[in-house]
Amino acid sequence: MRPASFEYHRATSLEHALELLAEFGEDGRPIAGGQSLVPMMNFRLARPGHLVDINKLPLNSIESDGQMLRIGALTRHIAYFDNPLIARHFPAFLDAVHYIGHPTIRRNGSIGGSISHADPTAELAAVCVLYDAEIIARSTAGERRIRATDFFLSAYVTALEPGEMVVGVELPVPPSSSTGSFIELAERSGDFATAAIGVSIEFSSGRITRAAIVCSGADLVPIRAREAEDFLQGKPLDAAEASEAARLFATSIDPVDDHIASADYRRGLIGKLTQRAIEAACNRALDK
Amino acid sequence: MIDITLEVNGVTKTLQVEPRRLLADVLREEFRLSGVHIGCAHGACGCCTVHLDGTPRLSCLTFAAQCDGASIRTVESIGGPNAEHMLQQAFKSEHGLQCGYCTPGFIMTLVPFVEEMVGQKRIPDDAEIREAMSGNICRCTGYHGIVAAVRKAVGTGLESGV
Repeated sequence: MRPASFEYHRATSLEHALELLAEFGEDGRPIAGGQSLVPMMNFRLARPGHLVDINKLPLNSIESDGQMLRIGALTRHIAYFDNPLIARHFPAFLDAVHYIGHPTIRRNGSIGGSISHADPTAELAAVCVLYDAEIIARSTAGERRIRATDFFLSAYVTALEPGEMVVGVELPVPPSSSTGSFIELAERSGDFATAAIGVSIEFSSGRITRAAIVCSGADLVPIRAREAEDFLQGKPLDAAEASEAARLFATSIDPVDDHIASADYRRGLIGKLTQRAIEAACNRALDK
Repeated sequence: MIDITLEVNGVTKTLQVEPRRLLADVLREEFRLSGVHIGCAHGACGCCTVHLDGTPRLSCLTFAAQCDGASIRTVESIGGPNAEHMLQQAFKSEHGLQCGYCTPGFIMTLVPFVEEMVGQKRIPDDAEIREAMSGNICRCTGYHGIVAAVRKAVGTGLESGV
């Protein structure tokens, strides 16, 4: 299919983009790589009257002051592969990027677009929830910082208001004695995930001191496994308790039941992925 | 309507397009480049892959209006009229195609990959080749011939020192 008619505007600065988005309200959408928005428009599931092209704006950067990692909204997925900050501090993030679409999508898609689209199984949405990211949104009214857990409201629904756009994402940099992993299962390479699990752990003297676990596929937004996270605190890095943590989580969820997988299948899958992701993270911690 | 100027395979044209027109349609209809195949029109099959300013891009997920001033290459620019690029020749000898509908997309996705491997002076393993072409769907070959073609093309490139 082909998209419905719209007017096209090329923003020359952030202020210009925000003015245009304020003018068009719900009828306006920013476009960056278009890897999520254009399919929606081709299917006419999205019919914005105005597209504001933000590709020329200076929002393509990955920077850190040691405390926070700030990623500009236009950063393409491919940029994470050779970024030393991501490799050193955010191993689950780096794992997750390998599962995003395929090379052509990764070269063109942006983090701002991915999280604004809010597909329930989008890898970067899960990464934001895992690492307690804050989403930085701007409008002509100013800047708003939204915690990732408050940003994703439902499938394809975010806390963004009309006239607002994502300009960046900030992630607190984990301490050096930390690591993580991300594992996803999809029917085909690059397809939407049936389920995915991300784990981030901090450790000291052979024990886990803090754990974070995120899951895609259990609900319409990425969710944290708080009970399993608390359970893992103080446990040894040999991952002997990984299966118990996974069981705690898998029995607490009410997974999506759809044409790809039944709820029961997903519960089993999520349990297994949780166990493996915890084990992978612990193995990396022991190697450090 | 919006005025845009595109340089496509060395030919520069200024034309008026509706913003909603996909780059794939403009290349096929205004530039008469029927090698740009449209399979799914939502970014799942890779048939419409072209090079936009030097890198692969799905022309069904791109509005022509976004490409003002851009340089675009389609499969027609590869290997001349007899398809003599080493990858095209390898597709022929290794049975990398049957019906051929997906082939232009595979060629445009894989030419930069083959050149990168030749530049690094190494033959990629099958997993790397399959990852490089994971965005392209072929319903005829079962992919084995395509993987063999990529391996052969890199080998040819290394031998000839291209």
